[in-house]
Amino acid sequence: MIKGYAGRVLEIDLANRTFVFQPLDEDIARLYIGGKGYGTRLLYDMTPAGIDPLGPENPLIFATGPLNGSVAPQSNRFAVVCKSPLTGGIGNAACGGSFAYGMKRGGIDVIVLKHQSESPVRLEIDGDKSEVRFIDATDLWGKGTYETQQILGKKKYHAVIGPAGENLVRYAGIVSNERIAGRTGVGAVMGSKKLKAITVGGSRKLEMDDPDAFKEYTSWVREHFRDHPVLGESLKRFGTGGIVPTTNARNIIPTHNFKYGHFKDAMKISGQYMEDHELKGVKSSCIHCPVTCGRDVELEGIGRVKGPEYETLALMGSNLDIGDLKRVNEWNYHADDLGMDSISLGASLGFAMELRERGMLSIDIEFGDPSGITELIKDVGHRRGIGNDLAEGVKRMSEKYGGADFAPHVKGLELSAYDPRGSYAQGVEYATTNRGGCHVQGASMYMESVGPLTINPQNLKLKADIPVIQQNLACAINSMVLCIFTTYGMIPKQIHEMDPNSFTYKAITTAFENSGPLFRILMGIKGKPMMWFEKWLTYITGTTFSGGHLQEIGARIFNLERMYNLREGMTGADDTLPHRILHEPTFKGMTSGHPLDQLLPRYYRNRGWDTDGVPLAKTLEKLQVRV
Amino acid sequence: MITVELTYDMSKALGIETFEVDDVPTVADVVAATRAKFGDKGEEFAKLSRVAAVAVNGMLVNYRKGMKTKLAPGDTVAFVKAAAGG
Repeated sequence: MIKGYAGRVLEIDLANRTFVFQPLDEDIARLYIGGKGYGTRLLYDMTPAGIDPLGPENPLIFATGPLNGSVAPQSNRFAVVCKSPLTGGIGNAACGGSFAYGMKRGGIDVIVLKHQSESPVRLEIDGDKSEVRFIDATDLWGKGTYETQQILGKKKYHAVIGPAGENLVRYAGIVSNERIAGRTGVGAVMGSKKLKAITVGGSRKLEMDDPDAFKEYTSWVREHFRDHPVLGESLKRFGTGGIVPTTNARNIIPTHNFKYGHFKDAMKISGQYMEDHELKGVKSSCIHCPVTCGRDVELEGIGRVKGPEYETLALMGSNLDIGDLKRVNEWNYHADDLGMDSISLGASLGFAMELRERGMLSIDIEFGDPSGITELIKDVGHRRGIGNDLAEGVKRMSEKYGGADFAPHVKGLELSAYDPRGSYAQGVEYATTNRGGCHVQGASMYMESVGPLTINPQNLKLKADIPVIQQNLACAINSMVLCIFTTYGMIPKQIHEMDPNSFTYKAITTAFENSGPLFRILMGIKGKPMMWFEKWLTYITGTTFSGGHLQEIGARIFNLERMYNLREGMTGADDTLPHRILHEPTFKGMTSGHPLDQLLPRYYRNRGWDTDGVPLAKTLEKLQVRV
Repeated sequence: MITVELTYDMSKALGIETFEVDDVPTVADVVAATRAKFGDKGEEFAKLSRVAAVAVNGMLVNYRKGMKTKLAPGDTVAFVKAAAGG
C-alpha cells in the first residue's frame, strides 16, 4: 500500500445493515490522490445517470487523503461527495473539525454509504476491531448539531446532521465539531438515508515514507505560517471576517441581494468590529491547525458558540442590509445548529426580501430589518410555512415566484460573497465551477482583487487563465485533503510588505498581469516540490509531487466532474452568471456587468474543451480521464 | 466633498472610520488634506497609507496612476489592505 493511506474503504449498506471493508484502489489513489478526487471517481463509476439525489441509489462518500492524520497544519479535513440535491450535478463539500482524523486513526480512507435506512440510525465505527455498530437514533432525531455532538461525547470524532438534514433542506450540511461541510446539500443526502451521525476512531498511526524530513520541514512551515501577514496575522487576529473592510472598499461585498457591492455599515459586521465588541475567544476547531481562524462569541441564553465567518457576515449581514453583528451571530448559531449552509440560507433570505420589495412574494421580512428572521431560519430548517420554499434554494424559488434575473445562483448553487463585477476571474470561476457558484473551488479573487497582488480585476488580462490554475489547484488541495486557506500562504510576506506605489511592486504585478499563457505554462512544469503541500505529499507518499503534477491531477479531477455534470444533462449554457451580474453595473462609470461572454470562449480553449464547453477527446485522453 | 474610508489600522490611529475632505484634485491631495486635518495623528495616517492600496469608488488605482489619480466631487477614496476570507 502507498504510504499515507490506510488502505481500506468501508462500504456500508444502510438498508440491510451490513458492511464490508474493501482494499483501497491504488490506481485511483495514484490518479486522483484521495478526498474529492477519489470520491468523484467512485461516484461516477458507481451510479448511472439520472438517479434521484435523495433516493437510495445516491451514495454518500466520505473521503480522506494522504495528508489527513498527520500533524501538517490545516490538514485535518475530509471531503463528502454525492449527487447534489440542490444542483442535480456533482455535489461535494469539505469540512474541518476532527472527523478526518478519526477516520485515519480508524485505518479507513473512505466510507461509502449506500441505500437508506428505514428508521433513524447512527453508526459507531471501531477501526481497530473492524466493526460497525448500527444504533437506533430515534432519541437523537430532531436534535441540533450542538446537542447531538454533546450527547455523543466530545472526545470522539463525529459527523452529524441537524434538523435541516433530517428535513431534506436542499442546502443542509454535515457538521464535525463546529465546522460544516456546507455546500450542495450533502446533509440532505445524509438525512435521506435517515443517518443522524457517524462516530469513528481507532489507534492507527499514519505511515510515512520519510517521517524525519516531514517533521523537520513541518516545523519550518509552522514558522512560515506564524510570520505570514494573512495566515499569521489577519486570519489569526480577525478571523475570516477581517476581509470585510477590504471587500467593501473594493465594492464586491454583496449588498441588497447582490444589487450593490458596498454597504454603509460594513465595519459593524467586520472581524475588526468583532474583536472590539463581541469576541470571547479565538480557537482552532480543526485539529493541528495553527491559524485559528475560528471565533467564539457569547449568545444571550445560549452561551459561548462559534462566531460567523466572512461568508455568513456578508450573506446574512450586508446582503440583507443589516449591520447588526449580534443578530448575525445569533442567525449563524441557528444555521449551524440546524445544520444548514449559511451562504445558501443568506442568499435565499436576500432573494425573498427582494421578491417582497417587488411585490412578488408575501413574506414578513424586509431589507434592513432584523425582525422575523430568527423565526424564519427555524422554519427553513424544519420546512414550516414559507420556510419550506426557502429550503428549496434560490433557483427553485425563482421558478415558483419569478425573479430569475436577480436570483443569485450558478447551476442552482447560491453565490458566495465576492461580487464578480469587481473580480472578473472570480466570475469566470463561479460560472464554470462544477458544483456551482462557489469561491472555495479556486479562490481566484485572492489572486486578483483581495490579496496582495492587486492587479486590475476589471480587465480581460489573465481572467480566463487564473481560474483554470486556481480550480486545478483547489481540486488537488481538496483531495489531499487540505484547507484552501493554505494557498493564501503562497504569496510571500515580502510581497505583502511592499509599498503598492513602489516601482518594484508595480513591476512585479505588471509582469504577472501580462504573463498571459506563460503563467499557465510555468505552473504546469513538473519539477521539484516547492510548496509545503507538494513536499508534504512527497515526504508522506514517497512519490514526487510538484506544482505541475498537482495541476495535472487537479485538471483530471475537474474534467471528471465536468463529465459527470454533462452526463447528468448540464451543458455549456449552465456556465453562466445571474442576469443581474452580467448586465447591471455596480461601479461608478461602469456601463454593464461582468464580461463573461468575452472570457468564457478563452476559458474553454485553455481547458481543452470545444466551443460548447465539452472536453475534447484528446484532453480526456491526455489527462487519463476514463468515461 | 470627497469621502474617505480607512483601513482598520488607520481608523484606530485616527479614531474615525470615515470622514469627508473638501474637493481636491488627486489622491495625493487627499493624503495631504488628511494629514493637515488630523494634525500629529495625520503623520501616522500618511505612514500607514504608504503600505495600503487605494481604491477610488471601489476600483483599485495602484496599477493605474496611484497617488496621481484624479478625483471628482462625490468620489470615495478607500485605503485597503490585503486580506483573506472564506
